[in-house]
Amino acid sequence: MTSAVDAGWIRDVEVAALAWISAHRGDFALDEDAFTVEGAVDLTWKPLGELAQTCVSVGRRTPPADPLHACVRDLLAFAWQQTGQGELFLRLQRLEPFATYPLEVYSVFAGAGFRHAGYEAAAATVARTRGWRLTEQEPTRRLGLLNAERRSGIHRPEPAAQALGRTWLGGLPEPWAFERTAGYALTHVVFHLTDWGRTAEDVPDDLAAYLSQWLPPWLDTCLDAGMWDLCCELLIVAASLPRPPDTAMLHDAWTRLAHAQLDSGAIPLNAPDTADGPDEGFVHCYHSTLMAAFAAALSVDHLTRGPEARAQDPQNRYGGQGVPG
Amino acid sequence: MEQSGTSALLQGAVQDLSSDVASVLRDGGHVRLPDGALDGPEAGHAITVAAVRVLGADLLLPHVLSRTAPLPDTLDAFQRTVETFPPRSDAAPTVVWSHWAMGRTLHRFDGTGTATAEPDADWLGTATWQLLTHQLAVLAPLAVPGEDSAVARAARGRPVDVARGFVRAVRRRDWLQAAGAGRWLTLLDGVPQTLGLESGLDFVELMGGGDPRVALQLEAARAMRWAGAPV
Repeated sequence: MTSAVDAGWIRDVEVAALAWISAHRGDFALDEDAFTVEGAVDLTWKPLGELAQTCVSVGRRTPPADPLHACVRDLLAFAWQQTGQGELFLRLQRLEPFATYPLEVYSVFAGAGFRHAGYEAAAATVARTRGWRLTEQEPTRRLGLLNAERRSGIHRPEPAAQALGRTWLGGLPEPWAFERTAGYALTHVVFHLTDWGRTAEDVPDDLAAYLSQWLPPWLDTCLDAGMWDLCCELLIVAASLPRPPDTAMLHDAWTRLAHAQLDSGAIPLNAPDTADGPDEGFVHCYHSTLMAAFAAALSVDHLTRGPEARAQDPQNRYGGQGVPG
Repeated sequence: MEQSGTSALLQGAVQDLSSDVASVLRDGGHVRLPDGALDGPEAGHAITVAAVRVLGADLLLPHVLSRTAPLPDTLDAFQRTVETFPPRSDAAPTVVWSHWAMGRTLHRFDGTGTATAEPDADWLGTATWQLLTHQLAVLAPLAVPGEDSAVARAARGRPVDVARGFVRAVRRRDWLQAAGAGRWLTLLDGVPQTLGLESGLDFVELMGGGDPRVALQLEAARAMRWAGAPV
């Protein structure tokens, strides 16, 4: 089994996943539920933001001439259009000025060069208050907010290390204490530290060594449990570290994920626990399918280009700002 | 019915013997077989010998670690088991190694057993970390301070892989494998500090220590840690 063959398999998973996402892009569209105080954020802004983040990250790791690059650029433009080219973040802020999720979603676009000066000015005004800075959050979410502020041009006098030290991962816990909740917390710590796979060098050495040591058993047992969504996030983490991921681990994981992928291209959140077959609905599939595409893009990049080529990439060396393409 | 009855009897005998060995490891004393275990009807005899075979060299582990002589009846049963179950030519490597470990232990105590040449352990060098840990857990009786073997050398060469296997076993709630892997890790250099082996073994005891076979491995790990000797 060569790396080249592995990359081909993994790319097949990515192509099918992006085809499903493209076919379901209408399900990511915002409706009026997105603009009510008690709105269902998890079913409106959250999926749209995750779509945008995946497209930004996949685009960074996919050569411009690749048809998949055009695919994610098109999806990202669609997502930006859904926000009214950023205008709707202002409407959202007027509804909930101290809610952090509008800025967290906006920052995905801002990090890719899609900016709205009026919203940034308004967000900066609120972000200067003590009330905003004292928003009570879990440490992992706080790291995410700090990254969102950075991407949006907001500078807060609080080092990320302070929040990092209070996360599950930052404390280097016993690896056998890993469970689903801890898993999602740790993947997001790495996402925020590395700006979603862009800056591997921002993972402190002790964390990088810890993750390299323990990702294999975490991934293996999540695969056994059919936790496809978390598996994909762990694969993203593995590809976001200074050292390249273990190829045997990648091969095993992608073999099993390819098997879990439905004919439609979707990958369900988890394996069905009944004999009824998988739930192919949008809500059950969209996140894991996004994460599969993201993880696949990173794995293919590692297997085909290698770390030296990525180090030469100006986009990775100089911060990766700018619209993909 | 007869098969399942025999299987239940063997399982019970293994549990009883494991309990006894674990308590001797913890409190000292001598490993004892049930009264008349080898003098009764043939079926009972066979069950005892089969149970000793399952424990393997661990039956006499307390005496190896404390450098005390086992009771004559216990040593006799151990010897009979070694003689009754020579590995077949097509036996799995773990079976061959388990028998070799018993032979080595027998030789240590009565000098009559033959210290045969080590079997091959190449399969461990190429095994995935998952398989390596599984096989080492099965061969936990070889994890003894100061007792070298090709299996111990293979374990020494892959401490991070064995640690990964320990994590996997705990995550899978496979307490027997976790305890066996933990026993090996007690003897290895190069185990990542972040593993938290000591609290990990406590956790395995909390969750799986009700099984005497698990308890035996955990007591062995503790006894060896106190001994403080490397492999």
